[in-house]
Amino acid sequence: MKSTISIQNLTKYYGRIHAVENLSLDIPDKSVFGLLGPNGSGKTTTLGMILDVVIPSSGNYLWFGSPNKKANRQRIGSILETPCFYPYLSAANNLKIIADIKQCSYNNIDKTLALVGLYERKSDKFKTFSLGMKQRLAIASALLCDPDVLVLDEPTNGLDPQGIAEIRNIIKQIAQHGKTVLLASHLLDEVQKVCTHFGVLHHGKLIYNGKVNEVSGEEYWVEVASDNLLELEDKLKKYPHQHSVRSENEKLAVLLTEKSNIKDLSAYLYEHKIIPTHLFARRKNLEQQFLDILNQSENEYASQN
Amino acid sequence: MNTLLKIEYQKIKFYRTFWIFLGLYLLILLLVFLSVQLFLDWLAEKGEQIENIDPSKIPLLQFPDIWHNITWIAGLFKIVPAIFVIISITNEITFNTLRQNIIDGLSRRDFLISKIWLIVILSAVSTVFLFLIGLIFGLIYTPSPEFNDILLYSFFLIAHFFEVFLYLIFTFFLGLLIKRTGLTMGLLLLYTYVIEPIITFRIKTDWITGLFPVKAINNLIRFPFKKYALREIQDYVAWQDAGIALFYIILLISLIYLVLKKRDL
Ligand SMILES: Nc1ncnc2c1ncn2[C@@H]1O[C@H](COP(=O)(O)OP(=O)(O)O)[C@@H](O)[C@H]1O
Ligand SMILES: [Mg+2]
Repeated sequence: MKSTISIQNLTKYYGRIHAVENLSLDIPDKSVFGLLGPNGSGKTTTLGMILDVVIPSSGNYLWFGSPNKKANRQRIGSILETPCFYPYLSAANNLKIIADIKQCSYNNIDKTLALVGLYERKSDKFKTFSLGMKQRLAIASALLCDPDVLVLDEPTNGLDPQGIAEIRNIIKQIAQHGKTVLLASHLLDEVQKVCTHFGVLHHGKLIYNGKVNEVSGEEYWVEVASDNLLELEDKLKKYPHQHSVRSENEKLAVLLTEKSNIKDLSAYLYEHKIIPTHLFARRKNLEQQFLDILNQSENEYASQN
Repeated sequence: MNTLLKIEYQKIKFYRTFWIFLGLYLLILLLVFLSVQLFLDWLAEKGEQIENIDPSKIPLLQFPDIWHNITWIAGLFKIVPAIFVIISITNEITFNTLRQNIIDGLSRRDFLISKIWLIVILSAVSTVFLFLIGLIFGLIYTPSPEFNDILLYSFFLIAHFFEVFLYLIFTFFLGLLIKRTGLTMGLLLLYTYVIEPIITFRIKTDWITGLFPVKAINNLIRFPFKKYALREIQDYVAWQDAGIALFYIILLISLIYLVLKKRDL
């Protein structure tokens, strides 16, 4: 499959800090790629480098297979961290500047503002906007010139639940139009809800790269609690169809094998005279996978240093 | 219209601060020139004499002297557009719009050129304004204007353009390095009016002091009024002064380009 961007050994040092280290990554055309990682893991630095604002210490990248960086950037719609506009200009006038920079016509401005629900406020100055409106204007600016790729850095940061849902819907709509999206986020939930592919960054290194549906496998975790957790843990560990048991504040989580399910488990517990006060099945989801990957990486990182 | 000029124009067209600074600058110049003749007349009325000359007879605003005189006086007020340049540059940095411009598709070189356009606009407006003022005041105050005299010293307008241009480029450089609006303004004022004057006053040797940036900028148009006390003045732009100014223009623009190129935004 063709890549929208191909990144090779990208590295950025800030003095002693290795913000990004030897990152190699190909983002397939028309994928929604989630770059996932905790705060400080190097997501913004990575995006800054591929958008030509942060100068890499080494490594390279190629958008659309073309070395013309300026023309490439004109085809990318992007917001990095907070929305950046001229506070004293209106929404529409801010977008005019972007249209001029990207060399597209002003005709899209009203339409795009309407798409993000800002049409009525188009003549109001940016500085009068609420955080949610600023974020939506940023999305509008990214969409303005019908880009081939969207690069979004924590696009729902600081928004209320309604705002978050709106932004996610917009991203999904865009993806349906066959565009490639690169989304950096520290929120798993976000990546799981909108992405087709994801990579995990940790301490500047890419420690996982794959498809989202590959990891939402069949094995699943069941949360259990009872009045006597010690006894419960003992019994769960003796249950033949489990991979592992771990305690998660005031309850236990057990990972079942494919041969078992929540019904069998509760039958087993009744048989041993344990009445669960809580019983809840959760699929082994991206979050679990993510935490596992991070834990493993953290252990490796700790043993190296 | 040139795209980069258009982009810069979009940024200032609805920016009230820009129009306030521009209006303020032109108003100050107008008021100063209006009061010059009034001041001389007032001195004459009080019977004062400047070096045994009747002040009201000094042809300050008459062709052809007027061009040298008003361009020199206007040079005192170039700090006003300079402060706007500081605001424009440091805003782009603090609002992160410089970074966003690059992300959206400007190159760093484009950004530099768009800001040079801003500086050209300011320098050109100042020059055109002085041309109009010079023409009008000259026609009013010159008793019987001779056609050949009218534009005789008007090359000082070109010198004025470069004086403002170079000072604003110098300011651009400072703003880019310092990044913070208030700090840059403070340092520019301190350097222009305190630090460099003290250094050059100590050094005294003309050819060395002329190498300092602000001095080099001001040397394009030398102090004109001593001639009314019948002393020798330089009523032309010397080749070496123009050369030093050109050197600074090239040096500063290259440094700005280098800083933009190497810096993480
Ligand atoms: N301009 C900078 N100077 C020094 N260190 C920086 C700079 N920008 C980022 N860093 C460091 O690089 C690391 C990665 O930061 P960042 O890319 O912002 O992470 P993320 O976006 O994943 O939260 C962090 O340790 C951060 O402190
Ligand atoms: Mg970040």
